[in-house]
Amino acid sequence: MFHWLEKHPFFFAVGVFVVIAFAGLIEIVPNFAQASRPVIGTKPTTLLEQAGRDVYIKNSCNACHSQLIRPFKAETDRYGHYSLSGEYAYDRPFLWGSKRTGPDLHRVGNYRTTEWHENHMRDPKSVMPSSIMPGYPWLYTNKTDINTAYATQLTNAQFFGVPYNKPIPMKDGSTAVVKMAGSVAEAHKMALEEAKEVVSRMKDQDVKDAVANGDIPEIVALIAYLNSLK
Amino acid sequence: MNKLYLWGIIITIAMLGATYATVGYQKGGLNDDIVNMLAIAGAVALVIITVFVVIKYVRQMQTDQATGELADESWDNIGEYKNPVPFGWAIMFLGTIIWGMWYFIIGYPVDAFSQIGQYNEEVAEKNAKFEKEYANIKGEKLVEMGESVFLAECVVCHGANADGIDGESADLNRRIDEESVKYVINHGSNNKLLGTEMPMPDRNGLFNANTGALISDAEIDAVAKYVANGFPADDKEGAAVFAGVCSSCHGADGRGMAYVAPNIREYTSELIVNVLTHGKKGAIGTMPSLERLNAKQKEAVAAYVISISKGE
Repeated sequence: MFHWLEKHPFFFAVGVFVVIAFAGLIEIVPNFAQASRPVIGTKPTTLLEQAGRDVYIKNSCNACHSQLIRPFKAETDRYGHYSLSGEYAYDRPFLWGSKRTGPDLHRVGNYRTTEWHENHMRDPKSVMPSSIMPGYPWLYTNKTDINTAYATQLTNAQFFGVPYNKPIPMKDGSTAVVKMAGSVAEAHKMALEEAKEVVSRMKDQDVKDAVANGDIPEIVALIAYLNSLK
Repeated sequence: MNKLYLWGIIITIAMLGATYATVGYQKGGLNDDIVNMLAIAGAVALVIITVFVVIKYVRQMQTDQATGELADESWDNIGEYKNPVPFGWAIMFLGTIIWGMWYFIIGYPVDAFSQIGQYNEEVAEKNAKFEKEYANIKGEKLVEMGESVFLAECVVCHGANADGIDGESADLNRRIDEESVKYVINHGSNNKLLGTEMPMPDRNGLFNANTGALISDAEIDAVAKYVANGFPADDKEGAAVFAGVCSSCHGADGRGMAYVAPNIREYTSELIVNVLTHGKKGAIGTMPSLERLNAKQKEAVAAYVISISKGE
Protein backbone atom coordinates (compact mmCIF):
# COMPACT_ATOMS: atom_id res chain seq x y z
CA MET A 1 0.00 0.00 0.00
CA PHE A 2 2.61 2.56 1.09
CA HIS A 3 5.02 1.38 -1.59
CA TRP A 4 2.26 1.83 -4.06
CA LEU A 5 1.58 5.37 -2.76
CA GLU A 6 5.27 6.22 -2.97
CA LYS A 7 5.21 5.38 -6.64
CA HIS A 8 2.08 7.43 -7.40
CA PRO A 9 2.72 11.02 -6.38
CA PHE A 10 -0.76 12.25 -7.33
CA PHE A 11 -2.55 9.80 -5.05
CA PHE A 12 0.07 10.40 -2.40
CA ALA A 13 -0.80 14.13 -2.51
CA VAL A 14 -4.50 13.31 -2.26
CA GLY A 15 -3.80 11.08 0.75
CA VAL A 16 -1.80 13.84 2.47
CA PHE A 17 -4.61 16.30 1.84
CA VAL A 18 -7.21 13.94 3.30
CA VAL A 19 -5.18 13.33 6.46
CA ILE A 20 -4.55 17.04 7.06
CA ALA A 21 -8.07 18.09 6.10
CA PHE A 22 -9.47 15.52 8.53
CA ALA A 23 -7.75 17.25 11.44
CA GLY A 24 -9.27 20.55 10.36
CA LEU A 25 -12.63 18.91 9.86
CA ILE A 26 -12.93 17.53 13.38
CA GLU A 27 -11.76 20.80 14.95
CA ILE A 28 -13.77 23.23 12.85
CA VAL A 29 -17.04 21.57 11.87
CA PRO A 30 -18.46 20.62 15.33
CA ASN A 31 -17.69 24.08 16.77
CA PHE A 32 -19.14 25.76 13.74
CA ALA A 33 -22.31 23.67 13.87
CA GLN A 34 -22.70 24.42 17.56
CA ALA A 35 -22.18 28.17 17.19
CA SER A 36 -24.48 28.62 14.22
CA ARG A 37 -27.50 27.09 15.94
CA PRO A 38 -30.02 29.76 16.96
CA VAL A 39 -29.39 31.17 20.42
CA ILE A 40 -32.19 30.55 22.93
CA GLY A 41 -34.49 33.54 22.67
CA THR A 42 -33.70 34.33 19.02
CA LYS A 43 -36.93 34.81 17.12
CA PRO A 44 -37.47 35.14 13.37
CA THR A 45 -38.78 38.51 12.21
CA THR A 46 -42.51 39.10 12.21
CA LEU A 47 -44.12 40.31 9.00
CA LEU A 48 -43.82 44.04 9.72
CA GLU A 49 -40.29 43.60 11.05
CA GLN A 50 -39.40 41.72 7.86
CA ALA A 51 -40.85 44.59 5.83
CA GLY A 52 -38.80 47.00 7.96
CA ARG A 53 -35.73 44.91 7.28
CA ASP A 54 -36.38 45.34 3.56
CA VAL A 55 -36.67 49.12 4.11
CA TYR A 56 -33.37 48.98 6.01
CA ILE A 57 -31.70 47.26 3.06
CA LYS A 58 -33.43 49.45 0.48
CA ASN A 59 -32.08 52.61 2.12
CA SER A 60 -28.63 51.04 2.53
CA CYS A 61 -28.55 51.53 6.28
CA ASN A 62 -26.03 48.70 6.37
CA ALA A 63 -23.57 50.83 4.38
CA CYS A 64 -22.96 52.98 7.47
CA HIS A 65 -24.26 50.87 10.35
CA SER A 66 -22.92 47.48 11.37
CA GLN A 67 -24.87 44.86 13.26
CA LEU A 68 -22.02 43.10 14.94
CA ILE A 69 -20.76 43.92 18.43
CA ARG A 70 -17.23 42.69 18.98
CA PRO A 71 -16.09 41.34 22.35
CA PHE A 72 -14.19 44.41 23.52
CA LYS A 73 -15.10 46.24 26.70
CA ALA A 74 -15.28 49.55 24.87
CA GLU A 75 -17.96 48.10 22.56
CA THR A 76 -19.95 46.13 25.10
CA ASP A 77 -20.07 49.20 27.36
CA ARG A 78 -21.62 51.15 24.53
CA TYR A 79 -23.78 48.63 22.69
CA GLY A 80 -24.48 45.80 25.15
CA HIS A 81 -23.54 42.11 25.06
CA TYR A 82 -21.23 41.08 22.22
CA SER A 83 -22.94 39.39 19.29
CA LEU A 84 -23.19 35.60 19.04
CA SER A 85 -23.24 33.74 15.73
CA GLY A 86 -26.48 31.97 16.67
CA GLU A 87 -28.26 35.31 16.86
CA TYR A 88 -27.97 35.60 13.08
CA ALA A 89 -29.46 32.16 12.47
CA TYR A 90 -32.58 33.63 10.83
CA ASP A 91 -30.88 36.58 9.13
CA ARG A 92 -31.11 36.19 5.41
CA PRO A 93 -29.12 37.99 4.10
CA PHE A 94 -27.02 38.89 7.14
CA LEU A 95 -26.52 42.59 7.77
CA TRP A 96 -23.24 42.53 9.66
CA GLY A 97 -21.94 45.49 7.68
CA SER A 98 -18.27 46.20 7.24
CA LYS A 99 -18.09 49.88 8.11
CA ARG A 100 -19.20 51.99 11.03
CA THR A 101 -19.82 55.52 9.90
CA GLY A 102 -22.67 55.49 12.41
CA PRO A 103 -22.96 53.38 15.54
CA ASP A 104 -23.64 49.66 15.66
CA LEU A 105 -27.33 48.75 15.61
CA HIS A 106 -27.34 45.11 16.66
CA ARG A 107 -29.08 45.87 19.99
CA VAL A 108 -30.51 49.28 19.21
CA GLY A 109 -33.95 48.10 20.40
CA ASN A 110 -32.61 47.98 23.94
CA TYR A 111 -31.75 51.64 24.22
CA ARG A 112 -33.73 53.56 21.60
CA THR A 113 -37.49 53.94 21.45
CA THR A 114 -40.21 54.41 18.87
CA GLU A 115 -40.53 58.07 19.80
CA TRP A 116 -36.81 58.62 19.43
CA HIS A 117 -36.64 56.93 16.01
CA GLU A 118 -39.58 58.95 14.80
CA ASN A 119 -37.82 62.23 15.52
CA HIS A 120 -34.41 60.97 14.54
CA MET A 121 -35.24 59.53 11.13
CA ARG A 122 -36.83 62.76 9.93
CA ASP A 123 -34.00 65.01 11.07
CA PRO A 124 -31.15 63.33 12.98
CA LYS A 125 -29.64 66.67 14.02
CA SER A 126 -32.75 67.55 15.99
CA VAL A 127 -31.98 64.86 18.57
CA MET A 128 -28.21 64.57 18.13
CA PRO A 129 -26.72 67.93 17.14
CA SER A 130 -23.35 66.42 16.21
CA SER A 131 -24.89 63.73 13.98
CA ILE A 132 -23.71 63.47 10.38
CA MET A 133 -26.56 61.19 9.34
CA PRO A 134 -28.86 62.57 6.64
CA GLY A 135 -32.62 62.75 7.19
CA TYR A 136 -34.90 60.17 5.59
CA PRO A 137 -38.15 62.14 5.19
CA TRP A 138 -39.51 59.95 2.39
CA LEU A 139 -39.92 57.08 4.84
CA TYR A 140 -42.91 58.97 6.25
CA THR A 141 -44.77 58.95 2.93
CA ASN A 142 -43.54 55.85 1.06
CA LYS A 143 -45.77 52.84 1.51
CA THR A 144 -44.38 49.60 2.88
CA ASP A 145 -44.15 46.65 0.51
CA ILE A 146 -45.92 43.96 2.54
CA ASN A 147 -46.23 41.52 -0.39
CA THR A 148 -42.46 41.18 -0.78
CA ALA A 149 -41.97 40.80 2.95
CA TYR A 150 -44.59 38.05 3.02
CA ALA A 151 -42.94 36.30 0.08
CA THR A 152 -39.61 36.47 1.92
CA GLN A 153 -41.20 34.97 5.00
CA LEU A 154 -42.71 32.13 2.97
CA THR A 155 -39.37 31.43 1.29
CA ASN A 156 -37.55 31.45 4.62
CA ALA A 157 -40.10 29.10 6.15
CA GLN A 158 -40.30 26.66 3.25
CA PHE A 159 -36.75 26.49 1.95
CA PHE A 160 -34.64 27.43 4.95
CA GLY A 161 -36.73 25.90 7.73
CA VAL A 162 -37.17 29.13 9.69
CA PRO A 163 -39.63 28.14 12.44
CA TYR A 164 -42.71 30.26 11.84
CA ASN A 165 -45.88 29.07 13.61
CA LYS A 166 -43.74 26.78 15.75
CA PRO A 167 -42.84 27.10 19.43
CA ILE A 168 -39.45 28.73 19.98
CA PRO A 169 -37.70 28.38 23.35
CA MET A 170 -37.19 31.67 25.19
CA LYS A 171 -34.65 32.63 27.83
CA ASP A 172 -37.08 32.38 30.73
CA GLY A 173 -37.99 28.79 29.84
CA SER A 174 -41.28 29.64 28.17
CA THR A 175 -41.93 29.29 24.47
CA ALA A 176 -43.01 31.91 21.98
CA VAL A 177 -44.63 31.54 18.60
CA VAL A 178 -44.01 33.91 15.71
CA LYS A 179 -47.08 33.72 13.53
CA MET A 180 -46.98 33.75 9.77
CA ALA A 181 -50.06 34.49 7.71
CA GLY A 182 -51.70 31.78 5.63
CA SER A 183 -52.70 34.06 2.76
CA VAL A 184 -51.77 37.45 1.32
CA ALA A 185 -54.99 39.02 2.59
CA GLU A 186 -54.33 37.71 6.09
CA ALA A 187 -50.74 38.96 5.85
CA HIS A 188 -51.90 42.50 5.16
CA LYS A 189 -54.24 42.29 8.12
CA MET A 190 -51.49 41.04 10.42
CA ALA A 191 -49.06 43.72 9.29
CA LEU A 192 -51.68 46.37 9.94
CA GLU A 193 -52.27 45.04 13.47
CA GLU A 194 -48.56 45.28 14.19
CA ALA A 195 -48.38 48.74 12.64
CA LYS A 196 -51.18 49.98 14.89
CA GLU A 197 -49.22 49.01 17.94
CA VAL A 198 -46.12 50.90 16.75
CA VAL A 199 -48.13 53.92 15.68
CA SER A 200 -49.80 54.20 19.09
CA ARG A 201 -46.42 55.44 20.37
CA MET A 202 -45.87 57.87 17.48
CA LYS A 203 -46.83 61.53 17.16
CA ASP A 204 -46.93 62.28 13.40
CA GLN A 205 -50.61 62.76 12.52
CA ASP A 206 -50.15 61.92 8.82
CA VAL A 207 -48.57 58.59 9.72
CA LYS A 208 -51.34 57.85 12.20
CA ASP A 209 -53.99 58.71 9.59
CA ALA A 210 -52.31 56.53 6.96
CA VAL A 211 -52.30 53.52 9.27
CA ALA A 212 -55.91 54.19 10.24
CA ASN A 213 -56.73 54.08 6.52
CA GLY A 214 -54.95 50.76 6.10
CA ASP A 215 -51.66 52.02 4.59
CA ILE A 216 -48.37 51.48 6.36
CA PRO A 217 -45.68 54.15 5.83
CA GLU A 218 -42.16 52.72 5.65
CA ILE A 219 -41.12 54.48 8.85
CA VAL A 220 -43.53 52.30 10.85
CA ALA A 221 -42.06 49.08 9.47
CA LEU A 222 -38.51 50.33 9.97
CA ILE A 223 -39.20 51.28 13.60
CA ALA A 224 -40.79 47.86 14.19
CA TYR A 225 -37.63 46.26 12.83
CA LEU A 226 -35.24 48.47 14.83
CA ASN A 227 -37.21 47.82 18.01
CA SER A 228 -36.87 44.09 17.40
CA LEU A 229 -33.06 44.32 17.39
CA LYS A 230 -32.20 43.27 20.92
CA MET B 1 48.54 21.65 8.20
CA ASN B 2 45.48 20.39 6.45
CA LYS B 3 44.35 22.71 3.67
CA LEU B 4 40.82 22.48 5.00
CA TYR B 5 41.76 23.85 8.43
CA LEU B 6 43.67 26.68 6.81
CA TRP B 7 40.58 27.70 4.86
CA GLY B 8 38.52 27.43 8.03
CA ILE B 9 40.80 29.84 9.88
CA ILE B 10 40.86 32.29 6.96
CA ILE B 11 37.06 32.31 6.71
CA THR B 12 36.72 32.67 10.49
CA ILE B 13 39.02 35.69 10.53
CA ALA B 14 37.25 37.24 7.54
CA MET B 15 33.80 36.85 9.10
CA LEU B 16 34.91 38.12 12.51
CA GLY B 17 36.56 41.08 10.79
CA ALA B 18 33.35 41.85 8.93
CA THR B 19 31.35 41.61 12.16
CA TYR B 20 33.79 43.86 13.98
CA ALA B 21 33.66 46.41 11.21
CA THR B 22 29.84 46.35 11.01
CA VAL B 23 29.31 46.71 14.74
CA GLY B 24 32.27 48.99 15.34
CA TYR B 25 31.21 51.62 12.87
CA GLN B 26 27.65 51.74 14.12
CA LYS B 27 26.30 54.46 16.37
CA GLY B 28 27.48 53.69 19.87
CA GLY B 29 30.37 51.61 18.55
CA LEU B 30 31.95 48.82 20.52
CA ASN B 31 32.87 50.57 23.72
CA ASP B 32 29.74 52.29 24.94
CA ASP B 33 27.13 49.67 24.30
CA ILE B 34 26.89 46.42 26.23
CA VAL B 35 24.40 45.07 23.67
CA ASN B 36 26.94 45.56 20.88
CA MET B 37 29.56 43.76 22.96
CA LEU B 38 27.18 40.86 23.54
CA ALA B 39 26.42 40.75 19.80
CA ILE B 40 30.15 40.53 19.05
CA ALA B 41 30.65 37.76 21.60
CA GLY B 42 27.69 35.83 20.15
CA ALA B 43 28.98 36.33 16.63
CA VAL B 44 32.46 35.03 17.59
CA ALA B 45 30.97 31.90 19.11
CA LEU B 46 28.62 31.30 16.19
CA VAL B 47 31.23 31.77 13.51
CA ILE B 48 33.75 29.47 15.19
CA ILE B 49 31.21 26.74 15.87
CA THR B 50 29.77 26.98 12.34
CA VAL B 51 33.11 26.84 10.59
CA PHE B 52 34.42 23.88 12.56
CA VAL B 53 31.20 21.89 12.35
CA VAL B 54 31.25 22.41 8.58
CA ILE B 55 34.87 21.26 8.50
CA LYS B 56 33.96 18.13 10.47
CA TYR B 57 31.25 17.09 8.01
CA VAL B 58 33.26 17.95 4.92
CA ARG B 59 36.03 15.69 6.24
CA GLN B 60 33.50 12.97 6.99
CA MET B 61 32.17 13.19 3.42
CA GLN B 62 35.71 12.90 2.10
CA THR B 63 36.56 9.79 4.09
CA ASP B 64 33.26 7.97 4.86
CA GLN B 65 32.58 4.62 3.26
CA ALA B 66 29.03 3.51 2.58
CA THR B 67 28.09 0.44 4.60
CA GLY B 68 24.89 -1.27 5.62
CA GLU B 69 21.95 -3.07 4.05
CA LEU B 70 20.20 -1.48 1.09
CA ALA B 71 16.42 -1.12 0.98
CA ASP B 72 14.54 -3.09 -1.70
CA GLU B 73 13.45 -0.08 -3.69
CA SER B 74 15.65 1.92 -5.93
CA TRP B 75 14.58 4.98 -7.90
CA ASP B 76 16.52 5.54 -11.07
CA ASN B 77 19.19 3.36 -9.46
CA ILE B 78 19.48 5.61 -6.39
CA GLY B 79 19.35 3.32 -3.38
CA GLU B 80 18.55 3.91 0.30
CA TYR B 81 20.27 2.41 3.34
CA LYS B 82 18.22 0.86 6.09
CA ASN B 83 19.92 3.01 8.73
CA PRO B 84 18.40 3.38 12.19
CA VAL B 85 16.66 6.72 12.88
CA PRO B 86 19.20 9.24 14.22
CA PHE B 87 18.97 9.63 17.99
CA GLY B 88 18.01 13.32 17.94
CA TRP B 89 15.22 12.65 15.47
CA ALA B 90 13.89 9.82 17.61
CA ILE B 91 13.80 12.09 20.65
CA MET B 92 11.95 14.78 18.70
CA PHE B 93 9.50 12.19 17.35
CA LEU B 94 8.69 10.92 20.85
CA GLY B 95 8.48 14.49 22.12
CA THR B 96 5.97 15.31 19.40
CA ILE B 97 3.85 12.31 20.41
CA ILE B 98 3.86 13.44 24.05
CA TRP B 99 3.04 17.02 23.07
CA GLY B 100 0.27 15.69 20.82
CA MET B 101 -1.29 13.81 23.73
CA TRP B 102 -1.08 16.88 25.94
CA TYR B 103 -2.62 19.04 23.22
CA PHE B 104 -5.37 16.49 22.57
CA ILE B 105 -6.34 16.11 26.24
CA ILE B 106 -5.56 19.50 27.82
CA GLY B 107 -4.08 21.98 25.36
CA TYR B 108 -6.96 22.26 22.94
CA PRO B 109 -10.06 21.48 25.01
CA VAL B 110 -9.08 23.15 28.31
CA ASP B 111 -6.28 25.57 27.75
CA ALA B 112 -6.98 26.91 24.24
CA PHE B 113 -6.96 30.60 23.47
CA SER B 114 -10.43 32.07 23.29
CA GLN B 115 -11.31 35.62 22.40
CA ILE B 116 -14.26 35.47 24.79
CA GLY B 117 -11.89 34.37 27.57
CA GLN B 118 -9.64 37.26 26.69
CA TYR B 119 -12.66 39.58 26.72
CA ASN B 120 -13.72 38.31 30.15
CA GLU B 121 -10.24 38.92 31.50
CA GLU B 122 -10.24 42.41 30.04
CA VAL B 123 -13.62 43.21 31.59
CA ALA B 124 -12.68 41.80 35.00
CA GLU B 125 -9.46 43.77 34.98
CA LYS B 126 -11.13 47.05 33.96
CA ASN B 127 -13.97 46.56 36.46
CA ALA B 128 -11.54 45.85 39.28
CA LYS B 129 -9.60 48.96 38.36
CA PHE B 130 -12.81 50.99 38.25
CA GLU B 131 -13.95 49.65 41.63
CA LYS B 132 -10.61 50.42 43.18
CA GLU B 133 -10.27 53.87 41.71
CA TYR B 134 -13.82 55.06 42.39
CA ALA B 135 -14.73 53.15 45.56
CA ASN B 136 -15.04 56.31 47.64
CA ILE B 137 -15.92 58.86 45.00
CA LYS B 138 -18.37 61.49 46.17
CA GLY B 139 -19.31 65.16 46.01
CA GLU B 140 -17.93 67.16 43.09
CA LYS B 141 -16.09 64.17 41.62
CA LEU B 142 -19.26 62.08 41.56
CA VAL B 143 -21.13 64.88 39.78
CA GLU B 144 -18.30 65.11 37.24
CA MET B 145 -18.48 61.39 36.58
CA GLY B 146 -22.24 61.71 36.23
CA GLU B 147 -21.79 64.48 33.71
CA SER B 148 -19.47 62.38 31.56
CA VAL B 149 -21.88 59.42 31.64
CA PHE B 150 -24.73 61.80 30.86
CA LEU B 151 -22.88 63.19 27.84
CA ALA B 152 -22.27 59.68 26.54
CA GLU B 153 -25.59 57.98 27.27
CA CYS B 154 -28.37 60.44 28.05
CA VAL B 155 -27.63 63.36 25.76
CA VAL B 156 -29.17 61.71 22.66
CA CYS B 157 -32.65 62.09 24.15
CA HIS B 158 -32.37 64.61 26.96
CA GLY B 159 -30.11 67.06 25.13
CA ALA B 160 -26.84 68.65 26.13
CA ASN B 161 -28.67 71.06 28.46
CA ALA B 162 -30.85 68.23 29.82
CA ASP B 163 -33.88 70.26 28.74
CA GLY B 164 -35.44 67.33 26.89
CA ILE B 165 -35.02 68.91 23.42
CA ASP B 166 -38.40 70.60 22.97
CA GLY B 167 -40.43 68.00 24.78
CA GLU B 168 -38.90 64.94 23.11
CA SER B 169 -37.96 63.68 26.56
CA ALA B 170 -38.21 64.81 30.15
CA ASP B 171 -36.75 68.19 31.09
CA LEU B 172 -34.35 67.27 33.87
CA ASN B 173 -33.88 70.83 35.02
CA ARG B 174 -37.16 70.47 36.87
CA ARG B 175 -38.70 67.56 38.75
CA ILE B 176 -41.88 67.14 36.73
CA ASP B 177 -43.97 69.07 34.21
CA GLU B 178 -47.70 69.72 34.22
CA GLU B 179 -48.39 67.38 31.34
CA SER B 180 -46.77 64.47 33.17
CA VAL B 181 -48.65 65.10 36.41
CA LYS B 182 -51.95 65.08 34.51
CA TYR B 183 -50.95 61.94 32.61
CA VAL B 184 -50.03 60.08 35.79
CA ILE B 185 -53.30 61.05 37.50
CA ASN B 186 -55.32 60.05 34.44
CA HIS B 187 -53.54 56.78 33.68
CA GLY B 188 -52.00 55.74 36.95
CA SER B 189 -48.38 54.71 37.09
CA ASN B 190 -46.42 51.51 37.51
CA ASN B 191 -42.81 52.35 36.88
CA LYS B 192 -40.92 50.60 39.67
CA LEU B 193 -39.67 54.00 40.80
CA LEU B 194 -39.07 52.56 44.26
CA GLY B 195 -37.38 49.48 42.86
CA THR B 196 -40.41 47.23 43.20
CA GLU B 197 -43.89 47.17 41.71
CA MET B 198 -45.88 49.83 43.55
CA PRO B 199 -48.68 50.85 41.22
CA MET B 200 -50.43 54.16 41.60
CA PRO B 201 -54.14 54.02 40.69
CA ASP B 202 -55.56 56.05 37.82
CA ARG B 203 -58.13 58.82 38.37
CA ASN B 204 -60.83 56.24 39.10
CA GLY B 205 -58.97 55.30 42.27
CA LEU B 206 -57.96 58.75 43.48
CA PHE B 207 -60.33 60.19 46.07
CA ASN B 208 -60.17 63.69 47.42
CA ALA B 209 -60.40 63.35 51.19
CA ASN B 210 -61.66 66.94 51.45
CA THR B 211 -64.68 66.49 49.18
CA GLY B 212 -65.16 62.73 49.52
CA ALA B 213 -65.47 62.40 45.72
CA LEU B 214 -63.19 61.25 42.89
CA ILE B 215 -60.70 63.83 41.71
CA SER B 216 -62.27 66.21 39.17
CA ASP B 217 -60.84 67.76 36.00
CA ALA B 218 -60.54 71.16 37.63
CA GLU B 219 -58.76 69.66 40.61
CA ILE B 220 -56.36 67.79 38.32
CA ASP B 221 -55.47 71.05 36.56
CA ALA B 222 -54.96 72.80 39.88
CA VAL B 223 -52.78 70.13 41.45
CA ALA B 224 -50.77 69.62 38.25
CA LYS B 225 -49.90 73.31 38.23
CA TYR B 226 -49.06 73.18 41.93
CA VAL B 227 -46.74 70.15 41.66
CA ALA B 228 -45.12 71.23 38.40
CA ASN B 229 -44.33 74.69 39.77
CA GLY B 230 -42.53 73.20 42.75
CA PHE B 231 -45.18 73.48 45.50
CA PRO B 232 -45.48 77.32 45.66
CA ALA B 233 -46.75 78.51 49.04
CA ASP B 234 -49.18 81.02 47.55
CA ASP B 235 -51.08 78.41 45.45
CA LYS B 236 -53.75 77.64 48.07
CA GLU B 237 -56.08 75.85 45.65
CA GLY B 238 -53.45 73.39 44.42
CA ALA B 239 -52.14 72.86 47.92
CA ALA B 240 -55.64 71.94 49.12
CA VAL B 241 -56.09 69.34 46.37
CA PHE B 242 -52.62 67.95 47.02
CA ALA B 243 -53.35 67.62 50.73
CA GLY B 244 -56.68 65.93 49.98
CA VAL B 245 -55.61 63.54 47.21
CA CYS B 246 -51.87 63.04 46.99
CA SER B 247 -50.40 63.62 50.43
CA SER B 248 -51.60 60.30 51.87
CA CYS B 249 -48.96 58.54 49.77
CA HIS B 250 -46.56 61.22 48.56
CA GLY B 251 -46.33 62.92 51.94
CA ALA B 252 -47.59 66.31 53.05
CA ASP B 253 -44.58 68.05 51.50
CA GLY B 254 -44.46 65.83 48.38
CA ARG B 255 -41.17 64.29 49.38
CA GLY B 256 -42.57 60.77 49.23
CA MET B 257 -42.69 57.89 51.67
CA ALA B 258 -40.35 54.94 51.86
CA TYR B 259 -41.82 51.81 50.18
CA VAL B 260 -45.01 53.71 49.28
CA ALA B 261 -44.51 56.55 46.84
CA PRO B 262 -41.61 58.47 45.32
CA ASN B 263 -40.56 62.02 45.99
CA ILE B 264 -42.30 64.27 43.49
CA ARG B 265 -40.86 67.51 44.78
CA GLU B 266 -37.22 66.92 43.94
CA TYR B 267 -35.03 64.22 42.46
CA THR B 268 -33.57 61.62 44.77
CA SER B 269 -30.68 59.32 44.07
CA GLU B 270 -32.86 56.24 44.66
CA LEU B 271 -35.48 57.44 42.17
CA ILE B 272 -33.02 58.12 39.36
CA VAL B 273 -31.13 54.88 39.92
CA ASN B 274 -34.43 52.99 39.66
CA VAL B 275 -35.45 54.80 36.47
CA LEU B 276 -32.06 53.98 34.94
CA THR B 277 -32.43 50.35 36.01
CA HIS B 278 -36.04 49.74 34.99
CA GLY B 279 -36.77 52.37 32.36
CA LYS B 280 -39.93 54.42 32.46
CA LYS B 281 -43.18 54.93 30.62
CA GLY B 282 -45.07 58.21 30.85
CA ALA B 283 -46.70 61.15 29.12
CA ILE B 284 -43.80 61.76 26.76
CA GLY B 285 -43.08 58.15 25.85
CA THR B 286 -40.92 55.24 26.87
CA MET B 287 -37.48 55.62 28.33
CA PRO B 288 -35.47 52.42 27.89
CA SER B 289 -33.60 50.95 30.81
CA LEU B 290 -29.86 51.56 30.94
CA GLU B 291 -29.00 48.36 32.69
CA ARG B 292 -25.48 48.29 31.32
CA LEU B 293 -24.37 51.19 33.52
CA ASN B 294 -22.82 49.92 36.73
CA ALA B 295 -24.08 50.90 40.17
CA LYS B 296 -21.51 53.65 40.63
CA GLN B 297 -22.28 55.18 37.26
CA LYS B 298 -26.01 55.23 38.01
CA GLU B 299 -25.32 56.90 41.33
CA ALA B 300 -23.15 59.42 39.52
CA VAL B 301 -25.85 60.21 36.95
CA ALA B 302 -28.26 60.69 39.84
CA ALA B 303 -25.87 63.12 41.51
CA TYR B 304 -25.49 65.02 38.25
CA VAL B 305 -29.23 65.22 37.57
CA ILE B 306 -29.86 66.36 41.15
CA SER B 307 -27.22 69.04 40.76
CA ILE B 308 -28.66 70.41 37.50
CA SER B 309 -32.21 70.27 38.83
CA LYS B 310 -31.04 72.60 41.55
CA GLY B 311 -29.63 74.90 38.88
CA GLU B 312 -25.99 74.28 39.74
